[in-house]
Amino acid sequence: MPKVTIDGEEYAFEGQPGLLQFCLDHGIELPHFCYHPSMSVPANCRQCLVDVGAPVRDRKTGEFQLDENGEKVVRYFPKLQTSCSHVISDGQVVHTARTSEKVERAQRDTMEFLLINHPLDCPICDQAGHCPLQIQAYKYGPEGSRFEFRKVHKPKKVKLGPNVVLDAERCINCTRCVRFTDEISRSGQLTIIERGVKNYPITPPGVSFDEPYSMNVIDLCPVGALTSADFRFQARIWEMASTPSITTTNAKGSNCFLWVRDNLVMRITPRPNPDVNEFWIPDEDRLTYRWFNENRPCGPAALNKSGACSWDEAIQETAEILRNTGKETLFLASARATVEDNWTLMQLAGAVGGQVAGYIPHIEPGHGDGWLRTDDRTPNSQGCERLGLRPVDMEVWGARLNAGEVQGLYVLEDDPVTAGLCSAQALENVQVILHYYNTTNQTLPAANVALPAATVAETIGTYVNEAGRAQRVVPAKVIKGVNRTLMMQMGLSRADQHGTPFDRWHNESHYVDCKPSWEIIPQIARNLDMEIAAQSPKKIMQHISASIPAFAGATYKAMGLSGVTLPPIEIEVAG
Amino acid sequence: MTKAGDWQSYKRVLLPPVKDLHHLDVYRAGGGYEALRAVLSDWKPDEVTEEVKRSGLRGRGGAGFPTGLKWSFMPPVKPDVPRYLCCNADESEPGTFKDRQLMEYNPHLMFEGILIAGYAMSLKACYLYVRGEFANWITLLQDELSKLYDAKLAGSNILGTGFSMDIIMHKGAGAYICGEETSLMESLEGKRAYPRIKPPFPAQSGIWGYPTTINNVETLACAPLIINRGGDWFAGVGAKKHPGPVLYGISGHVNRPGVYEYPTGMLITDLLDIAGGIRGNKKLKALVPGGASVPVLRADMIDGVTMDVESLHEAGSMMGTAGMLFLDEDTDMVAFLRRVARFYHHESCGQCTPCREGTGWMENLITRIDDGEGNLRDLDLLLDLCDQMEGRTVCALADAAAWPVRNTIKRFRGDFERRCRPSAWAVNA
Repeated sequence: MPKVTIDGEEYAFEGQPGLLQFCLDHGIELPHFCYHPSMSVPANCRQCLVDVGAPVRDRKTGEFQLDENGEKVVRYFPKLQTSCSHVISDGQVVHTARTSEKVERAQRDTMEFLLINHPLDCPICDQAGHCPLQIQAYKYGPEGSRFEFRKVHKPKKVKLGPNVVLDAERCINCTRCVRFTDEISRSGQLTIIERGVKNYPITPPGVSFDEPYSMNVIDLCPVGALTSADFRFQARIWEMASTPSITTTNAKGSNCFLWVRDNLVMRITPRPNPDVNEFWIPDEDRLTYRWFNENRPCGPAALNKSGACSWDEAIQETAEILRNTGKETLFLASARATVEDNWTLMQLAGAVGGQVAGYIPHIEPGHGDGWLRTDDRTPNSQGCERLGLRPVDMEVWGARLNAGEVQGLYVLEDDPVTAGLCSAQALENVQVILHYYNTTNQTLPAANVALPAATVAETIGTYVNEAGRAQRVVPAKVIKGVNRTLMMQMGLSRADQHGTPFDRWHNESHYVDCKPSWEIIPQIARNLDMEIAAQSPKKIMQHISASIPAFAGATYKAMGLSGVTLPPIEIEVAG
Repeated sequence: MTKAGDWQSYKRVLLPPVKDLHHLDVYRAGGGYEALRAVLSDWKPDEVTEEVKRSGLRGRGGAGFPTGLKWSFMPPVKPDVPRYLCCNADESEPGTFKDRQLMEYNPHLMFEGILIAGYAMSLKACYLYVRGEFANWITLLQDELSKLYDAKLAGSNILGTGFSMDIIMHKGAGAYICGEETSLMESLEGKRAYPRIKPPFPAQSGIWGYPTTINNVETLACAPLIINRGGDWFAGVGAKKHPGPVLYGISGHVNRPGVYEYPTGMLITDLLDIAGGIRGNKKLKALVPGGASVPVLRADMIDGVTMDVESLHEAGSMMGTAGMLFLDEDTDMVAFLRRVARFYHHESCGQCTPCREGTGWMENLITRIDDGEGNLRDLDLLLDLCDQMEGRTVCALADAAAWPVRNTIKRFRGDFERRCRPSAWAVNA
């Protein structure tokens, strides 16, 4: 197998790997800015320079030439090579800044050039704290500055489109954003204008940077030049905790991070997963962050308790209604809820002698683009299908509801009125039990019992995307009540992430009084003198993966943070 | 010793003294396009390349790469894979104005050379990338080109021999960097003129990703001469290792600036005499022998130096484009360098960090020295910046920007030191 020597250590390689990616894959750090694994290599930042050489062979014999110590004579390239654009070949010798003063000096020199016209406004820059330029300048940059002139001034706070704001002075011209629009999203909405040191990226005249993936350039930008119009100046990186999660506006299940400060989701950024979304998520997924913070319920409510009530009262009331309506109740599962929630609902329906009619489909034809957006606007319809649930026949059930033929309606984390299943008036004489996320839910006024449910940011559970990939989520923010299962699963990247009384932004009211459905439903069942065996989502999933073939292998351990692909199933196409 | 032999009796061949030579009929009346006819009917493509190799012709665009060798780098012909020739007429190096002269007074020599080169490399299209500022000559070239098509000397089935070749003119938009061959190709493709990383070289992947050869106007204009008079004749003109007639663009403080055609290997002192000596009977102070980016020579360094690659290299400079800039004893070298640095600052494309940031910083420093506010340590910082820029970018513009700065400071350090304030601190290297 061909070998390459990097800093005196031999590494075997296959094929024709690029040197920079090879080093990064093997834990050798090389500073770089313009290189990105999913895009073309322009080698324009000149930060990843290394010294590359090859052993000299005798032209006649083909043997390696040896010096007096018996070592192979190495002939180095006359110039330092950019490791991003250099393809490794057999026998080459590479020196990084760890073993070569020449390389160390070259990297320091380039960093000095990068910094001379950079505004160095890190104290007010959104990127500070996770800025590649800042981090690498500390590690590889020069001490102090020799630049004694006025810096180049360029446009600031330029609104490129609805979601992206440019600060051209911070830009280091790596062209990642331009290459993203050229090669990845193919909108071509960004280009570099001006020349030389005045260069900066911008949209062509009359064009707004409004493509559905525009905000990915914010994460790509190795400095704070491209910022989110929404998140700009809202929070510092070190005040937030980031929790791995998935997006829920469509059936793709793109992996993301939820950035939480004081129990508010401040922003959503992509989490690389080569099997699902690579490095990207659509803008619509990022902009849902408000949905976790705004219009959230403050505790359960029951109609005949004249409004707000305690959880115990609400659950007793629910059990009472179910006892009356019994198997005449229409149970609606939800493609927005987790597999665990839907499974518990199926157990409850079985306990009262009925069964779940299906889930409400949320299909928006034309919304999908064959990439990271799908026509299906729910994250878990595939999970419902695998549990044996089907989309409800909207016409049949709508007609029956409007005709008053249904006495009880149990809705899990959905909104039948907005979905068009029935009108709000039709529900006046129906006993409605509703698990809901936001107070904007149109079915809420008709609910006899309203049970606030935990969202994807607050619960533990599993979602199955359109390709049959089961992915689990962990809570990113805490709920008001005490739930030890949730607490144990909190992704803690900052010990005091919920804020302490000493943080000026700390606010108790950000704790939402809701509960995950997998906690509510077994309590209801208990009031009906029925026990649902598996209670924690982990145990529920263990049970499901063991008993339902469509979920074979989907244990929490196997799913980890990047999910597992489930065996394919045949799905009857609705309609 | 001059290597140009009996240059006093040299007869001009690139720009012969013929009135209205730029008209097709005048050019043909003087035996024009006979080389093309001969090549198309009697020569094999390889034989043309061999003849050019034998002539020892080196590129006239600045780098001086052997032309025949460059042509032979083109991969074997494959059907369905187009291949291109590109004639680089984006002449914009400060102090260089020879291609403009050729395009104005003898454009058909260039066109004939293009067609011969196209035949030698078996290709069917040539892009002629002309500097946008040459508006007048573009009109002239376009007129002559359409006459060429009318006379069946370009286009399909040239002279009835079955060989077809198109010449497509493209107007540049005023960027110096477009003269760099890879950014020229990007510009032709309609993209931003950022130089490409080499390898792959243009012969492997050039315009639209297809094999491409790029030659300077003057280089291609030599091809018909080589065919007409033989490679051996060409190799016998001027310096042995860098033969042929060459256009010297002489400018600066001389009495008769202009473009002069002589063999290579001319003594610099002879060329200065030809140009009428330094004006006002002053003394020579410095010479830039090949366009603004080559290292400047002090007056005491040019004795016995001839204009060819070898001799200029020994003297510590380069042939470049043979655009010679003579500076008299009153020249302020700081002001001169300030102007040169300003040019490279203005023309850096901004792709690579060292050049984008370094050229501006250099201009700032030199401006400060020129304004009398510089410090001695600034000179060391400037030399440091040269080290930081050289050889660390995609194309050679950073080198071209650093060389004049380094060599002007090195060779005229006294001039710079006199303008600086003494430093309290040494430069932090």
